[in-house]
Formats: sequence, structure tokens, C-alpha cells
Amino acid sequence: MKNIRNFCIIAHIDHGKSTLADRILELTGVTHTNDVAQILDNMELERERGITIKAKAVRIPYTAKNGDKYFLNLIDTPGHVDFNYEVSRSLKACEGAILLVDATQGVEAQTIANAYLAIDAGLEIIPAINKIDLPNAMVDECKVEIEEMLGLSSDDVLLVSGKTGFGVPELLEAVVSRIPPPKGEPENPLSCLIFDSYYDSYRGVIPHIRVFDGKIVPHMKIMMKSTGKIFEVDEVGYFLPELAVSEAISTGEVGYVSAVIRDVHDASVGDTIISPEHPETPAIPGFRRAQSMVFCGIYPINTGDYPKLTAALEKFQLNDSSLIYEKETSAALGYGYRLGFLGMLHMDITIERLKREYGQDLIATMPSVIYKVITHTGETLMIDNPSKFPNLGIIHHIEEPIIKVKIIVPKDYIGPVMELSESKRGTLINMEHPDVRRALLTYDFPLAEIISGYYDKLKSVSRGYASMDYEFVGYKPGDLVKVDILVKGNQVDALSFIATRERAITRSRALIHQLRKLIPRHNFEIPLQAVIGGKVIAREDIVATRKDVLAKCYGGDITRKRKLLEKQKEGKKKMKMVGAVEVPQEAFLVLLKLEDE
Amino acid sequence: MTGLYIHVPFCIKKCGYCDFYSLPDKTGLISEYVEAIKQEACRYHRLECDTLYIGGGTPSLLGTKYLPSLLSGLYQTFDLRKETEATIEVNPDSASFDFFKTAKMKGISRISIGVQSLINAELKAAGRIHDAKQAANAVMEARRAGFESISADLIIGLPGQDWRSLRFSLDSLTGLNIQHLSLYCLSIEQDTPFATNRPQGLPSDNVQAELYEQSVDFLEHHGFIHYEISNFAQPGFECQHNLNYWRGGEYVGLGPAAASHLKCKRYKNKADLEAYLKNPLGQITEEETLAPAEKSAEEAMLRLRLLEEGLDIDEISKRFGETNTEALTRRLVRLAAGGLLLRKGSKYRLPAEKVLVSNPILAAVLRD
Repeated sequence: MKNIRNFCIIAHIDHGKSTLADRILELTGVTHTNDVAQILDNMELERERGITIKAKAVRIPYTAKNGDKYFLNLIDTPGHVDFNYEVSRSLKACEGAILLVDATQGVEAQTIANAYLAIDAGLEIIPAINKIDLPNAMVDECKVEIEEMLGLSSDDVLLVSGKTGFGVPELLEAVVSRIPPPKGEPENPLSCLIFDSYYDSYRGVIPHIRVFDGKIVPHMKIMMKSTGKIFEVDEVGYFLPELAVSEAISTGEVGYVSAVIRDVHDASVGDTIISPEHPETPAIPGFRRAQSMVFCGIYPINTGDYPKLTAALEKFQLNDSSLIYEKETSAALGYGYRLGFLGMLHMDITIERLKREYGQDLIATMPSVIYKVITHTGETLMIDNPSKFPNLGIIHHIEEPIIKVKIIVPKDYIGPVMELSESKRGTLINMEHPDVRRALLTYDFPLAEIISGYYDKLKSVSRGYASMDYEFVGYKPGDLVKVDILVKGNQVDALSFIATRERAITRSRALIHQLRKLIPRHNFEIPLQAVIGGKVIAREDIVATRKDVLAKCYGGDITRKRKLLEKQKEGKKKMKMVGAVEVPQEAFLVLLKLEDE
Repeated sequence: MTGLYIHVPFCIKKCGYCDFYSLPDKTGLISEYVEAIKQEACRYHRLECDTLYIGGGTPSLLGTKYLPSLLSGLYQTFDLRKETEATIEVNPDSASFDFFKTAKMKGISRISIGVQSLINAELKAAGRIHDAKQAANAVMEARRAGFESISADLIIGLPGQDWRSLRFSLDSLTGLNIQHLSLYCLSIEQDTPFATNRPQGLPSDNVQAELYEQSVDFLEHHGFIHYEISNFAQPGFECQHNLNYWRGGEYVGLGPAAASHLKCKRYKNKADLEAYLKNPLGQITEEETLAPAEKSAEEAMLRLRLLEEGLDIDEISKRFGETNTEALTRRLVRLAAGGLLLRKGSKYRLPAEKVLVSNPILAAVLRD
């Protein structure tokens, strides 16, 4: 055990984590060529080879300079802010972390977030400044930032280049010398942490585990601490990075276990695997079920494609247990699903990948957060879909989720970032200047304000220089109202939205105006109304077409006439009926577009 | 019944709204063209035809020289012994008394004059090369030459038009004692001069709709029957050739861009005069044979344009077979239940107030 080191690399996006990992694998002989690109972090590769090589950990044999032989387990951490919990579980499986900072970028919001997570988890941190081969590297500035923003000593900082391999041998030596070996008792009852998993269509869920006590061997019975469900192990092994069967995984080691687990929910990330003979074995602290923060509906464009969408979703969830979904029916859009995500980036990525898996476009409705509706009788209703809001009469008040956002921004862009944040109902909590060139802004935001488009806008107002990270802080009452949209008196559920009372009117007007442009004229008048409760707050009318007739005879060219009519009919098929009104698909996405304006 | 249509693809100048196949400045090719028509006609040797319609373009450009030659060629090839109606379209600028006299002598029985408007400003805006006086004269000359069945075309929606000006045109034409009127709403089609250079002062769709409705009232008040969406006639003067189109009948079209419908097959000639002159028999394109279910729906769609006559689904079912018209029947019943069609037993027709918004209804008749 004293020759095992479990560690991970934490970094802001694009600070070179994958390149460094590649270099480590190459240097230690795990991979031999430069062509093997970024083993730990390559979706394309994962897709092409099927998901079985989805290595979230690699066992690296390493001989130190003094001749001692080690096994280094490099554990991957998910790359973006919505996966804080998953990151925390991966960190839990380690004793140390390399904290990587891009020499040309400096410490970013995610660097801080991840460093704090690692410090909280009690990990030994090896700060390393990467990309020092670049001419615009700012090594000294980075050292100052590491000291001031992260509270780590600049004397401990290593200088590396993932690209050239410079400093990587020293880094590996530091992993061995600075990170402590795992602790634990091989003789104690089994206790291991699930820090990731993937789904194999033949073998079911394959949890990735770190053994803390005892050992896990084939044919033994194991129990999931959170559910009490018992499975029989049929295989254990290591990641080299391909799966390599072994006789056992012992205390301090990292590997996989195959135990015919069919349901992804039976092997949740963060759960503890114990021995059913010792059900009293305590859970490893920190486990929680994936908590969805952001929701949206997805619908096939053609109702007939619903089964296809269902299949895609089922398949998709096998590899992402943090995605939750349930059936949803919309009067306007037909049958679909309501999806719950960990956060906005999780949502964006998932919908994008889902479209690929599903093989065609789909309608994703305006994302929503979970609102707490407190009724006059004191009841609390959790509402994840504006169209499901209860009647105004029973609502005492509404609370919305608040997040704390940390933004690091070069000082030239502080103004635009603050302007943007204020427009999104942000409350500035703190502004620090960790170094001369940048500011660290801390904001409280209603989550609802930033789930669509804030991140992109932050990037654009700061020319890509600002970075952000966020955490959920709780619920706060807000002066919120639900606005319903009526098309010729029929409510369009997919267009209902929640807004502050103050902004409800301007938003409604903009929305109604867009709708008027999108809904074609019919041979009757179509009033478009936005209402709060029963009260109309915005209205426009689509006037009736008086004329839609082929008045010309076209000689005997009947085919042309027929084709014109058929084309018209085809156009209608792509419409959804709201009462007697034909509404084009893009009208249901108008809410999303308003956000962009 | 079988119709015979001749497309004459010549004109002096392209009108702003025109999207028919017609070439300005090619009148030098007319004699070649007439010979080519005669060649193409040979394909239909001895085919019995009930109506003849010479349209364009500007057929009156055939003049007294080529019209007789064309007609004698047709009479030699086709069997026109039972012919009941022979129409030629005439443009007021090439409508001389002599021409009418010749036409009359050679067997033409009906004249269709492209009046379009009797307001000079409107004619100019439409790109017409004649004035109101010439148009009115054309009607009178045709009558003087002995024609008793005269039709005029009018356009609704010309730049600057309003009910006063349209009423003037209608008033004048009824005063000139025409028997038939085709009333077309201006639509700006792709690749027309109006599409590239949109004229100022076009009446809106709403105004067009009002003008149409007012015209219908006016014409009905003056004894015209609104027998088809765009066509009005004094009793007994409905255009037999066009009625045949709307009843799903058969017809043969000769000349570039002419469409035919024969033995359940629809096809047309390529819109290419040069190619046509070289090889009049090798121009067929866009052949289409519809399955009985589609064919019957197409016929229903056409017949509903006949506002008085409408369609009789029992009669259609008898010809196409019950199984082929099942879906069509279902659609008709549903549309009638929704008030979009009028139903009397097995007969259906378009309600007068739906005529202007008939496209979606006809589209719904065509298919689910």
C-alpha cells in the first residue's frame, strides 16, 4: 500500500489537463506514441470505440529515481462547473491533486473552486504552472496568484509543459514524494467508494471504485450502502487504461467491479460498497443523490418520433445517471419528456449529445428552475414547470433558487460584466483584487436568470477572458408572477413563463410581438394575449387573411395548381394546432430567443 | 369530352404580371411555329375533340396570314366534326376587324379579349401596350365581325386600382354587351417583371378581397352567373373548354409549355420555343399518372372550383371505385361538418363566403 499513490489533476477548462495526462502516460510507458490523443478526455474516441474504453482512471506503473516501484492511479475529474459533486467524489478517491494553472491565463474561477474542493477534501496539493514553453507565459504573476488566491506557498510550485514534457519527471517525483500513500485496513470489512461508472450493454453498470478498507474479489457478495441491494461480483480489475482483470482490488487501490448491476440507479456515484455480512459499515461521508437544478421539456418535432426519442433517452441515461427524466404532455407540443439537469452546462451538453444520439432535431423548451410555491395554508409546492403553477388565489408567495457566482475578470471588462450581471438581477456581494490585472467578483443570482445564455454573454462581454463558477446557496422569496400566453383564447402551456412583476410586462410585450410575426395569418382574427391570473397585460391581434385563393387558371396546367396546394398542405403539417390556430414550431421557442436579445 | 389547346408563345412585350410562357420579339418565327404545331398534331391523328382553345401569349399575332394556316392544319389532323366551341385569345393592340372576320370565317366561334382594365393609368402600370380605347374597340369590332360569344379578362389588384376604377371597367364592359368575364386577382409570381421590380401602389390583399366581393355582387346584379372562382357568364355562355378542365376532363395541348391530360396521364411540353421548333414531338416532360385515389381527389379539388355545379361524390365513386374514394369521402364529410363545404346529399360545393380563402379547403380535399 505504501507504493500506491492516488491522485488527480484539477484545472480550469483548457489549462492543459489532458495534454499533461497524455505526457504522463507516455513518459511512464503506458502509451507509446504521440498519436494517442488525450486518453482521459476524448468524447470522439469514446464514441468511436464504444463506451467500454471510457477510462476515468488509469493505473500507471512508475519507477522512482531511487529505484522504488509504484502504482500511480490517475483519476479523472469531470471538466465543468455543474459537476461539483462528481468532482468532489473523484477527489474523495485520492490523497493528492496536481493543481494545474495555465501560465498564460493565470488562476481562473474554476481553478479556485476545484482547489477549495481539494483542500476541503484534505488532499495534498501540488501546484503546477503549465504551458511555460509559451512566449507569453507569466510565471511570476501566476505564482503570486497561487499564493494570494489559493493560499498555497509559491515555493511548492512546479513548472511544467504538457506539450514539451518539460518538468513532467519532476512532477511525477513530487507525486510520489509529496502525496501520502493511502491508509486503510485490509483486514477490516469492505468499504469502497463509487466515484464513477459506465454502462456496458452486456455486463450492466460497471462502477469505478476506490477501496478504503478490506478487499473486493470475484464471487463475493457486495451491498450498496444507500439502497441495501446485494449483488454478486463476477469480475474485478484495473484500468491500464483498457480493462485488465485481476484477482482482487485491495485497500488503497483503484479499479472496476462488474456485478451484473442492471439499473444505473443501483450504483450511484458517491455511494459506498460494503459487505452484506457487515451492513453496519458506515457510509463514506458526502454521498448524495444527483440533484436536478435546471429543467426543460424536450419534444420530437413529429409526434410519431416519440418512441425513437424514448429509446434515445433510455440509452443515454445509462451513462449519465445524473440526468433525470419523466414523461410530460404539452397541449401545444404533444408527448415529450421533462428533463432534470445538474446545471445549465449539463443541460446544454446533454441536449446536444441527445440530439446526436436521437439522430434528429428536437424541440427543447425554455429551461426552468424549481420554484417553491408557498400556499396560504402553509403548504410548500416544488414546481419545475411554469405551466404547472397553481392558481394565483392559493399562492402566498413564491421562492426561487439563488446561487453564488464567482467571476474572475480582467479589470478592463469589470464594467460590462457588472452591467450584464445587474441586468440579470445579480447582487454584488464582494469585489476583490487578487492581483493588479484582475478582479474576483462574487454575486448572488437568481438561478433562473442565468440558466439560459448568461455564461455565453459573460464570455462575449469579456472577450472570452472572464471565467465563472457557482454554487447553490438556497431559496429566497421573490416578487414573481406567472405569465400565461393565450392564442385565440387557448392557453399555450409551452409558452408560460415566470418573471418578476417588474419585468413581466416588457417581456410579455416582446414575446407577443414575436409571436405575431411567427404565426401565419388565418382566415379569422387571432388575438394573442399575455395574462397574469385573469388580467391581460399585453395583446396584439393577427388580422384575418381575406384572400388565399388560386384565382388564375394556368391554362390546363392542373399539376402545377395541385402541387401548389399540396405544398401549402405540407407546410401545415409541420404546424402544431392550438385550438383552431396553426402555430409553427419556432413559435414555441420564442422564449429562448427573447433571452438572446 | 376532349379539349384541344394550342399555346401561342409570342407577344410584342411581356406584361408586368405575366408568368405564362411567351417570348417578345420572336414573331419572325411564327411561320415555323405553325408548321411545328402541325407536326406535333400528327401524334393525335384523328383524335375527336369537342372544343378548341387558342391561347397564349398573344394568338392574335398569328394575324390573317397564319391563323387560317394553323386552323386548316388542325382541321386536317383532328376530328373536329363535333366541335361546339372554338375560342381564340385576342390582344386589343392586334385586334383588327379583318382579323376577327378571318377568324369568324375559319370557324372560330368565341373571342376572349385581354382587356385587363379600361383605365389607361392601370393599363400602363400593368405594362400593357394598348390603351382603354383600343380595348373597348376590340370588343366592338369583334361584335361587328359577327361574334356572339365574347369574353373579356379583367385584373383585380392593379397598381392604383380602387372600387371606383374597377367599377368603371366593369360598367363599361357590361355596357359593351360581353357574355363572359374572367376576373383574375393579381399575384406577383417569380421571374416576372413585377417580381424583380415591384410596382408602387399595389392594393393590399384586403383591398383585393373587397374588390373581388364587390365585383361578384356587381356582376351577379348584371345577370352573370359566378360559375367558377374567377369566371362569370351569362346563362349558356360558360366556357366549355375551361369547364372541361375543371371537370377533370381530357385535353391535348400543342405548342411549347402546353399541358395535356389524356388517358389518365398528365404531361406537358417543355417551355422552350427553339427546341420545340427543332423537334416538336420530343418535348414531353413532367409526365404523371396518378393512382385512382389521388386522381379522384384531384378531380374533386377541380370540381369544387365550379361554384354552382360542385361535385357529386357518388358519381365520382362510381367512376373511380368505392375503395379509392373512401378517404376522399371522409375528408369531404369532415369539411362539410366544419362548415367549410356545403353538402346536399352526395353533392358538395364551396360556400360563397369561403371562395376567397378556398386554398386551405381545397388542399384539405386533396389529402389528409
